[in-house]
Amino acid sequence: MILLDRVSKAYVKKGEAALERINLHVEPKEFVIIIGPSGAGKSTLLKLLTREERPTSGKIIVGGIDYDKLKDRNIPQLRRKIGVVFQDFKLLSNKTVFENVAFALEIVGMSNREIQHTVPKVLNIVGLKGKENNYPSELSGGERQRVAIARAVVRQPKILIADEPTGNLDPKHAWDVIRVLEKINRYGTTVLLTTHNQEVVNRLKRRVIRIEKGRIVSDKAGGAYKE
Amino acid sequence: MKREFDFKHEMITFFRIVRTGAHNVFRNAWLSLAAVAVMLVALVIILSTVVLNVTANNAINELSKNLKVSIYLKDGADKNKTKELEKAIVTNPEVESIDFVSKDTAQERFTSSFKNDTQLLEGLTLLGGDTLPASYEVSVKDLSKLNEIETIANQDQYKDVVDSITLGRTDARKTIERAASAQKFITTASIFAASIFTIISILIIFNTIRIAIFTRSEEIRNMKLIGATPGYIRGPFLVETTIYGVVAGIVAATAVYSIILSIGSKIANQEEFADTYNFFTSPSVAVAVYVGTILVGVLVGIFSSALAMEKYLKLKRW
Repeated sequence: MILLDRVSKAYVKKGEAALERINLHVEPKEFVIIIGPSGAGKSTLLKLLTREERPTSGKIIVGGIDYDKLKDRNIPQLRRKIGVVFQDFKLLSNKTVFENVAFALEIVGMSNREIQHTVPKVLNIVGLKGKENNYPSELSGGERQRVAIARAVVRQPKILIADEPTGNLDPKHAWDVIRVLEKINRYGTTVLLTTHNQEVVNRLKRRVIRIEKGRIVSDKAGGAYKE
Repeated sequence: MKREFDFKHEMITFFRIVRTGAHNVFRNAWLSLAAVAVMLVALVIILSTVVLNVTANNAINELSKNLKVSIYLKDGADKNKTKELEKAIVTNPEVESIDFVSKDTAQERFTSSFKNDTQLLEGLTLLGGDTLPASYEVSVKDLSKLNEIETIANQDQYKDVVDSITLGRTDARKTIERAASAQKFITTASIFAASIFTIISILIIFNTIRIAIFTRSEEIRNMKLIGATPGYIRGPFLVETTIYGVVAGIVAATAVYSIILSIGSKIANQEEFADTYNFFTSPSVAVAVYVGTILVGVLVGIFSSALAMEKYLKLKRW
């Protein structure tokens, strides 16, 4: 599903390499947790996958798409196949929960009838039934993040990237979000999760990849936060 | 990865873009109002320039019809020499038309214009009835070339046939010269004003879109990340400024037309303005003026927003 072959990324301004010779292979339907200190290169790795950044060298293949051969005008098409969730939710504050999720379908030209049919289903999966007409400001942090997840998965992407989705949440809400991610993974979506939350890592017992100073220093199935 | 073209989805997307653009006009209502207002001023000035120019041109043409060079011929002048003179004038590129006025015709014209002055006519009859000379009436394409005709007729070789030359009615000439210089002044001044206001409206619309891009930057980044195409992001801005152009165009054309109708109806009975008034009030010209003004407004709007997007909407690096 995801294949990185000797991928390096250096930012011109900093000079130092953000990522160095990363080799990574993720199978379809896997649930992978990426951990590591701030500035280790976790976010850079995710940005390479969403094509917000380009690697300085190395090869990236996601879902059979070779990024070297990907033309700029096809990037929107790529992004439609990858769902992304951020620490700060990135919801549109002037739109309701329903409209925020529907927005992801509107941009791909889906008809209103299809949208009316699809959005409630997804809101049901993330446990937000009944909150359709609320604005993000009326929701708790955990609920907002679940709206963001609903928006990310409503188009049924093959991959869901969650960049520290629990970073702004108290433990109870963090677990609500993690459970939703697990649920989505059970439906067959590959999930990439970055987090600082030790408890989450230890209790999930999934594949854990640790990145430090731009390198993968450990990669273990059923891993824990501290070795 | 191939993009499938699906007509239904494309249409849905198109209408969503239009709807979003229209919605955005009201999201920044005061900025939109300022953009429309300044564009309105620019369009009114541009349109007035055109109307004033057409009016001045028509008026000058109308006045010029009366302005001719009259070359009076000596009685019993040599026919061949006369023909030669006629030829020399006709072949001049500046000449619009040439008419021969025979002695009889001259007499008739005189009689009809002084038909109330019986004493004068009686006196004329006493003189024998053929006192008035035959003449050529020459009209030129460009009034400043009147003198050229005079020069031709004044040549030595025509000394025997030409009696005298007059350069039209001097009062008419002065009026025309004044009108022509007024037209020049109006044109220069209004082109200057139109350019300045066009630039101002471009800047204001540019700024409106720039602010809109900044206030919606988070939304735009979101749209990019969830897979919106550049067209889907740019479209609403173009729709927004197109709406400015259409609104400003309609109001500007209506404003100028209400001036034409209110002033025009008072002066339309004057020969110099009748043509112009009829021209502008004919339905086809009115439609053309509306369409043209709206088009200029839309172009100014699209140009300014394209400029702002090029500079501030970082869509190049996707």
